[in-house]
Amino acid sequence: MGLIAGVDIGNATTEVALAETTSGASSSSSSSFLPSSYPSSPSSAPSLREPAFLASAIVPTTGIKGTPQNLQGVVHSLTDALTKAGRRLADVELIRINEAAPVIGDVAMETITETVITDSTMIGHNPATPGGLGIGVGVTVALDDLARISAGTDTIVVADRSHDFDAIAEAINTAVARGVPVTGVILQRDDGVLVANRLTRPLPIVDEVASIDKVPLGMPAAIEVAEAGRIIETLSNPFGIATLFDLSPDDTKMVVPLARSLVGNRSAVVIKTPQGDVAERRIPAGTLTFIGPVKSATVDVEAGAEAIMAAAASVAEVLEVKGEAGTNAGGMLEKVRVVMANLTDRAPSDISVTDLLAVDTLVPQRVIGAMAGEFSLEGAVGIAAMVKADRLQMERLAHDMAAELGVPVEVGGVEADMAVRGALTTPGSSQPIAILDMGAGSTDASVLRDGVTRSIHLAGAGTMVTLLIESELGLDDTELAENIKRYPLAKVETPFNIRHEDGSVEFFDAPLPPHVFARVVVLAPDGMIPVPIAQPLEVIRQVRIRAKERVFVTNAIRALRAVSPTNNVRDIDFVVLVGGSALDFEIPQLVTSALADFRVVAGRANIRGSEGPRNAVATGLVLSSGGR
Amino acid sequence: MNERNQLMDEKTLRAIIEEVLNEVSAGSAPSKAPMGINGRSGSTPAAGSRTLTVTEVGEAKPGTDPREILIALSPAFGTTMFQTITGIPLADVVREITAGIEEEGLRYRFIRLYRTADVGFIAHEAAKLSGSGIGIGIQSRGTTVIHQKDLPPLSNLELFSQAPLIDLPTFRAIGKNAAKYAKNESPTPVPVKNDQMARPKYQAIAALLHIKETQLLDPRKKTQELRVEVR
Repeated sequence: MGLIAGVDIGNATTEVALAETTSGASSSSSSSFLPSSYPSSPSSAPSLREPAFLASAIVPTTGIKGTPQNLQGVVHSLTDALTKAGRRLADVELIRINEAAPVIGDVAMETITETVITDSTMIGHNPATPGGLGIGVGVTVALDDLARISAGTDTIVVADRSHDFDAIAEAINTAVARGVPVTGVILQRDDGVLVANRLTRPLPIVDEVASIDKVPLGMPAAIEVAEAGRIIETLSNPFGIATLFDLSPDDTKMVVPLARSLVGNRSAVVIKTPQGDVAERRIPAGTLTFIGPVKSATVDVEAGAEAIMAAAASVAEVLEVKGEAGTNAGGMLEKVRVVMANLTDRAPSDISVTDLLAVDTLVPQRVIGAMAGEFSLEGAVGIAAMVKADRLQMERLAHDMAAELGVPVEVGGVEADMAVRGALTTPGSSQPIAILDMGAGSTDASVLRDGVTRSIHLAGAGTMVTLLIESELGLDDTELAENIKRYPLAKVETPFNIRHEDGSVEFFDAPLPPHVFARVVVLAPDGMIPVPIAQPLEVIRQVRIRAKERVFVTNAIRALRAVSPTNNVRDIDFVVLVGGSALDFEIPQLVTSALADFRVVAGRANIRGSEGPRNAVATGLVLSSGGR
Repeated sequence: MNERNQLMDEKTLRAIIEEVLNEVSAGSAPSKAPMGINGRSGSTPAAGSRTLTVTEVGEAKPGTDPREILIALSPAFGTTMFQTITGIPLADVVREITAGIEEEGLRYRFIRLYRTADVGFIAHEAAKLSGSGIGIGIQSRGTTVIHQKDLPPLSNLELFSQAPLIDLPTFRAIGKNAAKYAKNESPTPVPVKNDQMARPKYQAIAALLHIKETQLLDPRKKTQELRVEVR
């Protein structure tokens, strides 16, 4: 009588399945394992060789997968399972660990566009509270010089923070009374409404212009403020600008980028300067070269994710990905290689990047040359790269573990094969079966058909989703991004009720803590976590869902296509979702509904009828003991 | 206490104590003379160019306008005290808080409590009478709280407990944030400055200033609606 422990060291969690082998079934003596009949349905009596599962455990992985640091997590997880089963470590006869196939190398973000404003031509920011309403055209004049302006000159007043709102309003009222047609105001402080409320005649006012000293004086300018809840219509239209400044057709062409960058704002200022321009530039980010067995393909990172993924697909099987030396793309892949080389004690040149997932994204970036600290959403490419782990590395870890624990440790089969074995314990599943293992670092798929498995590991999974959420929302907090990924959102409307993201309202008997009042919160199991950003709930939710779709739906289809016998997703009937990301509250639904388009039945696994999508590999490791 | 007192300028302390004792012995009529914390006394009501006029206009009523923020003043605010613990004129404090509210497009109303000088309860009373459910409580020395009517009195939305560290831009931001809460927006809490030295340095003065507030307490007097003018 002995215990077998299957230990699955993943990128994020270390899982253990603990089982007892029935009489005489020693792990090393048997070779009569029958894959096609295995496992029997859970309801039938266990066969002689069928191990009886006693307990499972799950703890966070310590260190990077496949490194000696994992040992701590393994011991923790194993102890957990043994305690639950009421057994001791001495009872364990054999430990089987997974051959950790993929190790996530890195996720990185490359910004590929930037907006540059030259010669201070525009202020396109969105102060929360501009003042006044309407459009004004005039020549920019500093408030101190207002008294010297002759009557009849259309004037836009520029006032820096040394002026108080009462003084500004008074000076403008005086000038207007004197016959100077003031048409608009640009303010440095957040005083737009205050000044507007004190004027004798309503004027459009744009405030919170941080670098107001850069506003050119004596230049024709136009200012527009829309009603609350509306967006500007004239300055975001090239012909609108042409009308206001009396531009020639050639000049009108020049203002198109300017007009475009003001779309969606509630207020804006456009200043006509001789050399002024707003340009969207593409930043050279270098090229990526995918090397396949027969051909290779090179693609510019700035071409975007679609082009990168098309290049990857064009070489069939990717053996290696190289980035152009001296560029950001090259640097990122080199970093992955060096990290992996250090972990495995090999030369960086021996490490090959075997898959790469690129995702287009928009990242808020500070506009260069902007006067009000404006941000614009710039195009970026998020990249997840994957490096094949070394079996030797796991052998070494197994050796270390055996020495530490005093229990024989062997490296089991390929992770994906193990996952299929484990997934087959899901009630109602049968061969042929395909699994989709959605973890933190990689998305794996394997198909078991007539006892033969075919599997693939792809870069990009939970960690990539976190990166996309973090960068698209401009968060500087990976933990918060992780929480936004994991849990649903709600808005705290009063101290006694919240509105969930689906619109339903939940009431509470006791008042909620004041730090969540009026905030968008993440509904984590141990309490509400406020999200300290200005975007409304709906935007955060969209970012979250889109990030999940772009990583998991893309990878699900990519992976299933690769393992399908016909390279067509439609030829797979059943897909079982396993892995940590299958526990997510919406990823399984997103993948299931996307796969429904291919007439594929997909659903979340229930390993051993009790574990849900977790523990598939660990269970597979136990089941396959002696089968090899 | 001895250690802390050593950190204070002994002369300053003496001057303040004398001043308070003089006022106490002068009888119940609150002196119109403001108290300078630097030992100055008898100067003009506001150190700045603006003057604060506070007039009681009757018992305070609950508001119904969802656009209003209620600002509750402590008993001595603008009656016997005209500047904060660091000498910021209260006229300017009122001007900045109301400017913050106005910039967000909301209105404000003032009340004064005589029941308590505790800033948390002052703010909570303001919130309960406020049409928007959001109130600001402020003590003469500068301590300020933003409150919401449904929260327990000892809780709050934002608390600015270290009066010596609150400057005019902070008062503006307090008004702005209170207005944003009333609009059901999610403002970023105003950064609270913290200085370990503020407590030992100002604790004795703060205690004396609080005595000035509590002298004016009158448990039988109802909360009063105020007309507040800054000129």
